[in-house]
Amino acid sequence: MAAGFRYSDKNVLHPISFVELDAMHTHVELLLTGLSREQGEKFAQEAERRIKDMERRFNRYDMKSPLAVVNSRAAVESVGVDDELFMALELCEVFRVATKGYFSVATDTAGLEHTPYILDGATHGVKFLTDGVQLDMGGFAKGFALDQVLKLSRESEAASALLNFGNSSVAAVGHHPYGEWWAVGVENTAQRGTLAYEAHLCDAAMSVSGRTPAGEYHIVDPHTGLKVAQDGMIVVEGRSALVAEVLSTALYAAPESKRESIMQQFEGYSATEIICHKAGGVEKRIIK
Amino acid sequence: MNRKEFLSDCGKMGMAGVALSLFPWLESCSEKAKQEVQGEKVQIGIIGTGSRGLFHIKHLVQMPNVEVVALCDNYRPHLEDAAQYYPEAKLYDDYRRMLENKDVKGVIIATPLYLHAPMTIAAMEAGKAVFCEKSMAYTMDEALEVYNCRKELGGVLFIGQQRLFDPKYVKAMQMIHEGVIGEVVGVRNYWYRNNNWRREVPSPELERHINWRLYSEYSRGLMTELACHQLQNGSWAMGQLPKQVMGAGSLIHWDKEDERDVYDNVCAIFTYPNGVNMTFESIISNKHFGMGEQILGTKGTIDLVTAMHYTDEPAPKGSGMHQLIEQIESGVMSNSVFAGTSWAAESSALAPGMPIMQNVKVVSGESSVGAEADGSKELLEAFLHAVVTGKQPEKVLEESYYATQFALLADKAMHENAILTLDEKYKVPYTPF
Repeated sequence: MAAGFRYSDKNVLHPISFVELDAMHTHVELLLTGLSREQGEKFAQEAERRIKDMERRFNRYDMKSPLAVVNSRAAVESVGVDDELFMALELCEVFRVATKGYFSVATDTAGLEHTPYILDGATHGVKFLTDGVQLDMGGFAKGFALDQVLKLSRESEAASALLNFGNSSVAAVGHHPYGEWWAVGVENTAQRGTLAYEAHLCDAAMSVSGRTPAGEYHIVDPHTGLKVAQDGMIVVEGRSALVAEVLSTALYAAPESKRESIMQQFEGYSATEIICHKAGGVEKRIIK
Repeated sequence: MNRKEFLSDCGKMGMAGVALSLFPWLESCSEKAKQEVQGEKVQIGIIGTGSRGLFHIKHLVQMPNVEVVALCDNYRPHLEDAAQYYPEAKLYDDYRRMLENKDVKGVIIATPLYLHAPMTIAAMEAGKAVFCEKSMAYTMDEALEVYNCRKELGGVLFIGQQRLFDPKYVKAMQMIHEGVIGEVVGVRNYWYRNNNWRREVPSPELERHINWRLYSEYSRGLMTELACHQLQNGSWAMGQLPKQVMGAGSLIHWDKEDERDVYDNVCAIFTYPNGVNMTFESIISNKHFGMGEQILGTKGTIDLVTAMHYTDEPAPKGSGMHQLIEQIESGVMSNSVFAGTSWAAESSALAPGMPIMQNVKVVSGESSVGAEADGSKELLEAFLHAVVTGKQPEKVLEESYYATQFALLADKAMHENAILTLDEKYKVPYTPF
């Protein structure tokens, strides 16, 4: 049984399977309704196994991970990787182009006009084009893993589910047992404990990007290599947790003038900038 | 939020009883207590109508249950200023004469420090309820004399320690007593200003009369005028009194422009029996850090001035999801606030903190007269209530007494360059919260 598994049938109509674990530098919470205890345990084990697997696969600091191998050798030679990592890197390249370079898994690329690495489809090889480039897939992996768990939840016999990766990436299967959606509040950063925005998720995902809860700027603009000093938050809602994650990161880094055109590349997603004023009040700007 | 709203909120949560048991002097604000004095009009006299006296008058004119029937000041311009608010009031230039006025049931004393004890004692002996500004007295012996006089005569005596009535302090202390910040391991107080602390003097012979705060003949300076307010934070938070005091003071800047002889730069450390230190620092030639009062615990910190709580522990993980589980178990749906930017372990210095209550008004400490929403109005209301009922609230006098004694003891430690303990003869019964 997964270590952080809990089952509750206090509400016999809607029994709850709940699993939580620390992974991917964040706290993961998965809530499913309508499963039996055995089904819930099975789901929890499989979800934990997959999340941990992706954590290893995409962790550049784990020297045994395929990503670490790429980072250590791709500057001097083309490094072959497995299908999943290659597909992930291809996807990242699509995102990089679609977001006008504001989402990038390559670090230390400030000032580069061209793609910092090449992907060879025939050999599944990765080769860096510039010295000093490293791949950091942290921003990709969380959304990717959440989509995988979302798929697993849909495949289970759960009536509904709410999946939370570190509060910044949330995905829903179906709706709350007593509502037409899962109501997810985004906390007001200027007045903790109060609501700045409420998302209604039903078979949808959302992602929030901004300063850390401790107030630090941490998102880097790939064009400049500098941390973006934006005080607002970006909330993106749509079908895929991965796309929502990518978009919220890119829109946070991108200047206002480019945000709308980035959003034009993605059908079925909405984005809102939320500004919490210290003097009180919340400003919501719909990007698309 | 004012004190009434605070108690009302406590009531809604079934906590009014708890709040009153912790801080019994708030009793005057309960529904029962309000009914007790409904329709009563309190007749008050004010001794000392300078800046602080006028500050109280501006609150009093907003209170329908009070009638100021007498005003007293030996400086005519101040008396006339006050008389504009209460043209019907009898005017006096000698407080002894005013105390003979039988219509006066209670007096507010807002005079220079060296006059506090003699005036308070005279007023109590005249059978008046007394609200005297802090500090309680100019010397430690006088403070004891005042305390003993009240004990002997009974009656009502309030000292102007308004933090005891400030809702944000009350709420913060309640949280501290509940263990929200763990064990208290430190108390920090500071008060910085950058001004000469002078009042305008129309003619040179009035210098000492008006700028009495600057001369040790009338005042003990920063310790009795500022520190006294903050020194109660340690005992209020921990329920203990300091076992020793040390400190250093100097006159480093403002003596260049006048003949003052009280320190303009002080620093004191108060050590409690459990080893915890409380600090007080005040400089009046730099104001960058303003006024600060912080209670440091093993689990977090409460900033009393800004009413913020900072935890030393990471934000609770997944609390929103846990609430959601409880909701589904109970068959309800409501919003759970849990989304935001990525959860990560926080360093305490960067932790954004949580307000301990809504609608907090933060006081800068810059005004040398007083500030709105600092508990002064609530303190005045409580005093007026006590004038009617004749009931002395529990504990409040002892808190004020010790705030004065330790302010004076620290001042003495600075002048003697010594580590001092409070002499046994000055110890009066003290009940921890």
